[in-house]
Amino acid sequence: MTTEDSLPASSAKHPAAPAFIAITAWAVPGLGHLLLRRWARALGFLLATAGLAVVGFALRGEVFSIHSADPFGMLGFIADLGSGIFYFVARVFDAAGADVSRAAGDYGTRFIAAAGIVNILGVIDAYGIARGRRV
Amino acid sequence: MFVSGLRVSHFGAMMLFALLVSVAFACSGNRTLAMRIKYALLCFLLFLAIGVGIAWLMYPFSR
Repeated sequence: MTTEDSLPASSAKHPAAPAFIAITAWAVPGLGHLLLRRWARALGFLLATAGLAVVGFALRGEVFSIHSADPFGMLGFIADLGSGIFYFVARVFDAAGADVSRAAGDYGTRFIAAAGIVNILGVIDAYGIARGRRV
Repeated sequence: MFVSGLRVSHFGAMMLFALLVSVAFACSGNRTLAMRIKYALLCFLLFLAIGVGIAWLMYPFSR
């Protein structure tokens, strides 16, 4: 069984990387871990974020914009933005627009927000590895 | 079974959500593949158990 314990310390190999790793991990889910050679984690975060985002779009969940009028809309925007590239290509997947009149559409909104939160978790994890604080 | 086109049942949506979030949780902070699989399974089962438990608690107020 493969472990990541035997991998070289990432911080030694990426001296200027932590901020770069964090940005890449945010922009493309899993890419930060990929650059750190954490293959399994990269795949896991990519699958989780992509799965949540795409299912959310397919369920016609709402993607919040920065111009949301209420505070909850702004929180939704921050959560959605966390999914990086998926936020920006949302319109491609979400051509029909949001439909929160059905329960499924409301679930979709939660899935899209969860995709962003999960990716932020991935960013924190990748940043910690790049700083040498995590294995 | 749970997904029909773009329609998902309540339970199907909960299972899908639990599965995907459990994978992400397991990938964060666990060193070995075995630890990750165990943690993902634990998270998934807890998601389902707590979700069903809350549903039962809310049942008296549903009508």
